[in-house]
Amino acid sequence: MKAKQIFIALLSAILFLTSCKKEDPLGSVDNIPGLGGDTWTPGAIDNWISDNLTSTYNIGVKYKWDQGELQADFNRILVPPKEEKIIPLMDAIVKAWINPYVAEAGQMFFKNISPKFFVLVGSPAFQQGAVKLGTAEGGRKVTLYDVNDFRTKGMPGYVLSDTENVKQVFHTIHHEYAHILDQNIKVPIEFSQSSASAYTSDWLNVTEQEARNEGFISQYANSQASEDWAEMVSLLIVEGQAWFDQYVNSINYTGTTPNGTTAAMAQARLRQKEAVVVSYFKQNWNIDFRSLQARSKAAINSLLY
Amino acid sequence: MKKVFIIVLIISAFFSACKKEDKPAFDQSPDERLTETLAAYETQLAGAQNGWNGLLITDSGRAGTFSFYFKFNTGNRVIMLSDFDSLSAVSPKESSYRIKALQQPSLVFDTYSYIHVLSDPDETVNGGDRGAGLLADFEFYFDSVSTDVIKLVGRINGSKLTLTRASQAEADLYNNGGLAAGLNINKILTYFKRLTIGSEKYDIQINPLKRQITFTWIDANGTLQTFTTGYYSTAGGISFTSPVVNGSQTITGLNNISWNATSQTINVTVGSIAGTIIGIDTPLRVDVNAPARWWQFAVDNGNTFWISFKGFHVNGVDDAYNLQSLVSGTESYYFLLYWPAYATGNDFFGPVFINAGGTALSLQYGSAPRKPTFTSDGRAIFVELGTYGPQPPTGPAGLTRDQLYSARGYYFVQTSANTYDMVSASDGKIWLTWEF
Repeated sequence: MKAKQIFIALLSAILFLTSCKKEDPLGSVDNIPGLGGDTWTPGAIDNWISDNLTSTYNIGVKYKWDQGELQADFNRILVPPKEEKIIPLMDAIVKAWINPYVAEAGQMFFKNISPKFFVLVGSPAFQQGAVKLGTAEGGRKVTLYDVNDFRTKGMPGYVLSDTENVKQVFHTIHHEYAHILDQNIKVPIEFSQSSASAYTSDWLNVTEQEARNEGFISQYANSQASEDWAEMVSLLIVEGQAWFDQYVNSINYTGTTPNGTTAAMAQARLRQKEAVVVSYFKQNWNIDFRSLQARSKAAINSLLY
Repeated sequence: MKKVFIIVLIISAFFSACKKEDKPAFDQSPDERLTETLAAYETQLAGAQNGWNGLLITDSGRAGTFSFYFKFNTGNRVIMLSDFDSLSAVSPKESSYRIKALQQPSLVFDTYSYIHVLSDPDETVNGGDRGAGLLADFEFYFDSVSTDVIKLVGRINGSKLTLTRASQAEADLYNNGGLAAGLNINKILTYFKRLTIGSEKYDIQINPLKRQITFTWIDANGTLQTFTTGYYSTAGGISFTSPVVNGSQTITGLNNISWNATSQTINVTVGSIAGTIIGIDTPLRVDVNAPARWWQFAVDNGNTFWISFKGFHVNGVDDAYNLQSLVSGTESYYFLLYWPAYATGNDFFGPVFINAGGTALSLQYGSAPRKPTFTSDGRAIFVELGTYGPQPPTGPAGLTRDQLYSARGYYFVQTSANTYDMVSASDGKIWLTWEF
């Protein structure tokens, strides 16, 4: 009886152990073909990007159409950029954004916290009465729209009214970069304290003038504290200090706004935000903001006038 | 009993022994087969020595047809021509393309060229709608492939692109600007145009944006016939998407189109017959009741008015008198208005202004025509009785007013239930579109 039990137990064990082994060779992992179509014969543009951005700063630029990079725009119709715009655009970006930061804070700073990936789109992204010109994602990727309208001094068809377009591009990049700095080292709460009660998600219905009267540098700055920060930094750099001083001094209405803000309060808010920008750059990144501002403005002006 | 149990156990163990066969249905992995397919497509596209004729039908194949010529190479570059405008038809543009596995193997034109002009969401580029363009595509999946014909379908707007292998002769014609010939049909600036082929006469109306031509003719029984077809450029002419049939005459397209600037005529051939297109002032059959119908429509519908945003179109220029630059104080021009039976005994014709805030409309001045005279041959003649307010004698408002009182008056063409085109009877190059 006992022997039989042992026999059955053994039999089960043998059956268990000899249960089959369905081994499949993995095959060669050195050459996984992928889905294909993501490589192409490099041309002059690819070489320029590789020499000036990828090998120096590890920044990639995707100018060839890839809808997969534009997740936020699956329901929008967009077109790829014109090839003749790509080098002038990226060159202008190097001059007006990369070079000033590198000169002020050094290569290591820039390589550490620069966005690594640019995606270029030829047309603007139209959305309900507004036009989207740029976005940044996760401190890594910057998408620039409306590349096909980019013209700087010396390009065919350049007229002075194009300066607005060009400034928009730099505005976008400096805006997004200010976000990235904020995401790395948080901007102190003092920055937005004075305006804390005035932020509104309904910013599109606030006029430029109303935003200014409340002590905001732009309409969009009125939307939330982080956008206020990005708008302050980018407009101080792109439009320059003289413009900013004039902007602040132009707030001289009498009485109060519906929120109870006086002109003096609005001016003080802008000046206080300006002071936080300068001290934030110095304390956290050891960057002389005034010098950075002057350098960038000079570079932008040289591209325009 | 136990023996039986053990035997059953052993037998079942025997039958359940595993099957180590794991042979895939195909010799190669899906990735390898996909890569092979993509490579084959690329080889086929780039292998066409003389390139490909392309016909792109926008908006899921429902809207306009555009003609292309493509020459692909193996280095991801493509040279193209298109019949969109006189530049794209004659100067080849190089851009890049890829064959890529998206949800299906797809052909992607991945930097901007003529094909993207149709898709551009910026309405100033192609005359389409803001944010949509002309509902074309630049990413296509392969629908069917044979040696000489590749059918592709757009991934967003479902436009249909058919590529057919071009011959050496076709390639030569395209490279010599052959696609530009078809654009000549837009050169005549009159509202009414007459195509004469042998003894047959047709009035034609061309919509270059929608790529449509409307033919109007009087058939053998004296009945007025109209037929609308799409068209696209071929080397040297245009082809119709569906043929025009008038008795024994069937027109599938116009060939050998040439423009004679001196006589302002277009010469064509249809089959072996020579034909001409000329600008005319009076159509084959005038809708004689249209002017009275137009006037009465506004009176019958609440005694309201007709409006026009662009004012008069003269010699190929929209808003020729520049009404859109008109201002009055802080208010700016919004639209032009014709108000039948505005007051007892007179109508009103003048600009409407909008205030700076965009909240209110106003009439500042205008002209007071009497009820138009409707002639038996289908014209409306306007006569001024007086003016309202400080009507300027010159400038956009003055020019527009003077034009209205053109002595021979206007023909009216009803273009939909509540739109009319008012065409000068003395000069067919002048017209105005009224909307209700």
